[in-house]
Amino acid sequence: MTETRLIHLVDDDEAIRHSASFMLRHAGFRVKTYMDGVAFLEQVAAAERGCILLDVQMPGMDGLEVQETLNARGVAMPVIVLTGHGDVAVAVRAMKAGAVDFVEKPYTKQTLIDALSRAFDRLEARRKEDVLAEEARGLIERLTARERDVLNGLVEGQTNKVIAETLDISPRTVEIHRANLMEKMEAPSLSTVLRIAFAAGFGGTTAS
Amino acid sequence: MSDTPKAFQVPLHQLDAPAHQLHFESILNSVPDAMVVTDESGTILAFSRAAEQLFGYTAAEMIGRAVNVLMAGRDRTNHDTYIGNYLRTGHRQIIGKGRVVIAARADGTLFPVDLKIGEARIDGRFLFTAFIRDLTEQQRSELRMQEMQSELVHFSRLSAVGTMASALAHELNQPLTAVANYLEASRDLLDSPDPDMREILREALSEAARQAVRAGEIVRKLRSYVSRGEVDAHPVSLRPLLADAIALSKTSRERADIPVNIEVDAGVDRVLADPIQIQQVVINLIRNAMDAMTGRSDARIEVRAAPTEEPGLIEIEVCDNGPGLSPEMKESIFKPFATTKAQGMGLGLSICQTIVEAHGGTIRALAAENGGTCFRFTLRQDTEAGPT
Repeated sequence: MTETRLIHLVDDDEAIRHSASFMLRHAGFRVKTYMDGVAFLEQVAAAERGCILLDVQMPGMDGLEVQETLNARGVAMPVIVLTGHGDVAVAVRAMKAGAVDFVEKPYTKQTLIDALSRAFDRLEARRKEDVLAEEARGLIERLTARERDVLNGLVEGQTNKVIAETLDISPRTVEIHRANLMEKMEAPSLSTVLRIAFAAGFGGTTAS
Repeated sequence: MSDTPKAFQVPLHQLDAPAHQLHFESILNSVPDAMVVTDESGTILAFSRAAEQLFGYTAAEMIGRAVNVLMAGRDRTNHDTYIGNYLRTGHRQIIGKGRVVIAARADGTLFPVDLKIGEARIDGRFLFTAFIRDLTEQQRSELRMQEMQSELVHFSRLSAVGTMASALAHELNQPLTAVANYLEASRDLLDSPDPDMREILREALSEAARQAVRAGEIVRKLRSYVSRGEVDAHPVSLRPLLADAIALSKTSRERADIPVNIEVDAGVDRVLADPIQIQQVVINLIRNAMDAMTGRSDARIEVRAAPTEEPGLIEIEVCDNGPGLSPEMKESIFKPFATTKAQGMGLGLSICQTIVEAHGGTIRALAAENGGTCFRFTLRQDTEAGPT
């Protein structure tokens, strides 16, 4: 858990790196700067999670190429793209490539901070989801193979009777498995069982 | 050939009067250049077949009329004075030398001609014989060449400016963004009780100022790029420069029939200019004037050059009798990308201004008395040459 929100700022212009860091630090963020896309991509794998503030127009590798590489590598940090004023085509491409927002240079402090706040909210929500999924997977690991089979049936909306027939056991046994798995998952109700199962990635696709 | 009449075998000077008359008429009908004979009052005595074709008048209607109807601008009004001066002083301005002047057709159109005048003195009176060669074709091909060259320069400059625009926006946005970053952060830190904050703010504000200067330098670089920073100004004669510009502005234009009058005051003909660039300015102004008068049958453009109150500085104006400028337009007319034309980029007048200023002059737009618009720009005179 980080106390201060971290921004990865990628811009080839030293004046922008310096001035934006100055502003953002005094606005309560932590800022790490990178002088181009290549330098950032070298370090991103080991980097702490945060929001990425990415200048589009950079020599060598431009911002959109950096964004594509991040996508290809599965880096899930939210990206805000900094574009030139009125550069609509670039902004659209950036958003299509998954940027959470774009901000036109020159921007007001409030505009940038609002965009960053939204991005951090998203990061936080994603982080919470990840925590929940982690916890849920931990709970489900406590279950026996048979209990997981029953859970699978519950996630698919089957009745005890159908589950019993599918697994070729008695409805009474299903009831026992069900009571055990609820206790192991610390779930007081079926709805809690299902929420945990979904958070762990059960249902729809495959349960693992 | 054995029965050829005897009279034709005598030398020409021995011919009798009726034979002379016949011979003279055959010359008038066959001389390839336009030929006009006048007496010393400027009254036309003879008008050749070629002159009829060139000017669009018949010999019958021209004989007995004043020759100055064939001239344009100041030549037309001052012709009598020219002859008077010559008769009084014997000082030859044109006789025997030949020069290029602007002539006027019956339909009012102006065209450049090479004018040569011979004189004869008969019984104490002068006869002047003018030979006039149309230079339109010759000048047109020269001008076409020149136009192609100047358009090439112009277009390469324009497209370079175009591709520069997005690069420039980025270049300018960087320092502006930095300035905004520093200033907004500084504003929000003003009330901080931290004693170290003063020094931090001082540094941030210095940095903001440096970035503002950087933005200014980028703008300066662009301006010098557009004007190329240097002007190859040398002494040139204004009248042919303006005549060329007028002819050029009429090429490939629908409204080439709009009469364009040219008037260059005595003593302002020699200026210091890069002729191609100044032509570009005049062409732009004339074409703007033509565009402003679309659909008007009484459209008329006046190009005048006159001295200013400031010694060494002359003023050139291009006036139209179009609808005039709105007050808003007058404000922004020289700014890049300001235009009233559907197809216009709004760069013409901005480029005119850049060129004129690079020559050390100024350009402005005024309301003309007739409701139209006058554009006036100044140029430096070639003072080396002295008065002409």
